[in-house]
Amino acid sequence: MNINYIKISELNNYIKSILDKDAFLNRVYIKGEISNFKNHTRGHLYFTLKDDTSRISAVMFQSSAVKLTFNPEDGMNVLVSGRISAYPAQGSYQIYVDKMEVDGLGALYIEYEKLKKKLAALGLFSQEHKVPIPKYPEKIGVITASTGAAVRDIMSTIRRRYPICEAILFPCLVQGKDAAPDIVRQIKRADEFGVDTIIVGRGGGSIEDLWAFNEEIVAHAIYECKTPIISAVGHEIDWTIADFVADLRAPTPTGAAEMAVPTVLDINTLINNYKIRLNKNIKNMVNTKFIKLKSIKQSFILKNPLSMYEIKEQKLDSLMEILNKNLKNILIDKNNKLNSIKLSVVFKEPKNLIKDKQIKFDLLVNTLKLVNPLGILEKGYSLVECNGKIIKEATDVKVNEILNIRLYKGIINAQVTNIKEEK
Amino acid sequence: MQEKTFEKALQELEGIVKELESGNVDLDKAINKYTEAMKLAKFCSEKLNDATAKVNKILTEDDELKDFEVE
Repeated sequence: MNINYIKISELNNYIKSILDKDAFLNRVYIKGEISNFKNHTRGHLYFTLKDDTSRISAVMFQSSAVKLTFNPEDGMNVLVSGRISAYPAQGSYQIYVDKMEVDGLGALYIEYEKLKKKLAALGLFSQEHKVPIPKYPEKIGVITASTGAAVRDIMSTIRRRYPICEAILFPCLVQGKDAAPDIVRQIKRADEFGVDTIIVGRGGGSIEDLWAFNEEIVAHAIYECKTPIISAVGHEIDWTIADFVADLRAPTPTGAAEMAVPTVLDINTLINNYKIRLNKNIKNMVNTKFIKLKSIKQSFILKNPLSMYEIKEQKLDSLMEILNKNLKNILIDKNNKLNSIKLSVVFKEPKNLIKDKQIKFDLLVNTLKLVNPLGILEKGYSLVECNGKIIKEATDVKVNEILNIRLYKGIINAQVTNIKEEK
Repeated sequence: MQEKTFEKALQELEGIVKELESGNVDLDKAINKYTEAMKLAKFCSEKLNDATAKVNKILTEDDELKDFEVE
């Protein structure tokens, strides 16, 4: 009986080949709890995944481990994906993990929303903190990975559009848990180095891939950066925290370069346009002045300088006319006054004035006569006196008393014989 | 003129164009401004079409600025 004994390694390799051929085992998704976690110095992670009844060894190589957005540890519930294969040396099978995230539906999304709310409340997204992007930069700092589509897109777009601008790469990690501090470091470096604009970003990827741009320290670094920053993370649909904090958000890395620099063609057109406007303007200006000069030259005065004199002459004439007229008027006026004085009665007949005064005097004498009590006697009235008193009533005298009767001319003495009273 | 940045020159150029178009400038001054503007335009064009185009650079960890070739 010929029995073919084979080596253990042959067996294990056979088992391995069976496992590797299995389509299902090539990609499995499992969830479990981490235990026996070991972080090897070379960056590979070794641990066991277990649930209530079973366990499986797991390994995550450094190339995959750098993309982790968290630090795995014992007791953590995780979701992993990877392939099942055998490790011939140990005669064991294990899962080779290439992706691992914290279990819990949308754990990252919840974290993202929480941070977004917190930073918004702190004012990191507010518009008044955003500074305008320079229109014609001379130096642009590019913060992204030194390989890959993003750096190529940004650099070549700047070169193509605006070759007079220098693009300086500040290379950094763009995924994995070390990416955020590296991005922060390079933002600070670029800010201190002195560039006109900073573009920070990376190409598209899963939410885990982009996670560094959702880290709080990156948000603060962008916020504190004095140089205007354009963010360019992933694709149009990816909105990271960095996009909210940046002064300007570009949909893609190429878009960021387009926002950062103008095109030479555009500026050439602009300069030509300025030249056309300048020429047109100066031509118009000279033309206008020329027309004005021409019209001045053709003006009547310049053509007939004597006319200026003629006008003055005419004015002088009219002024003199007025002057003469005024003088004449004054003379006539004075003359009229003189004549009227000459014509006055007094001036003509001085005797009349005397006669007039005589009449006035006679009139006054007559009035005086009328007032003089003796004047009444002349008209035939007489004045009766007795004992030096003028008698007005019959009872003022007694019978036999002597009365003096004063006439116009002379006095009669008479004796009272009878008195008749009159009531 | 040598120290002037491209952006500043372009801004000045724009300023003069607008000033002249406002019509508030004397002819004498306008001609001076026009001459200056044309110089600025020439300066900008020359800078813009400079044959010695800049290249991409990388700032190394040793703070060295080296030429950078995109892969």
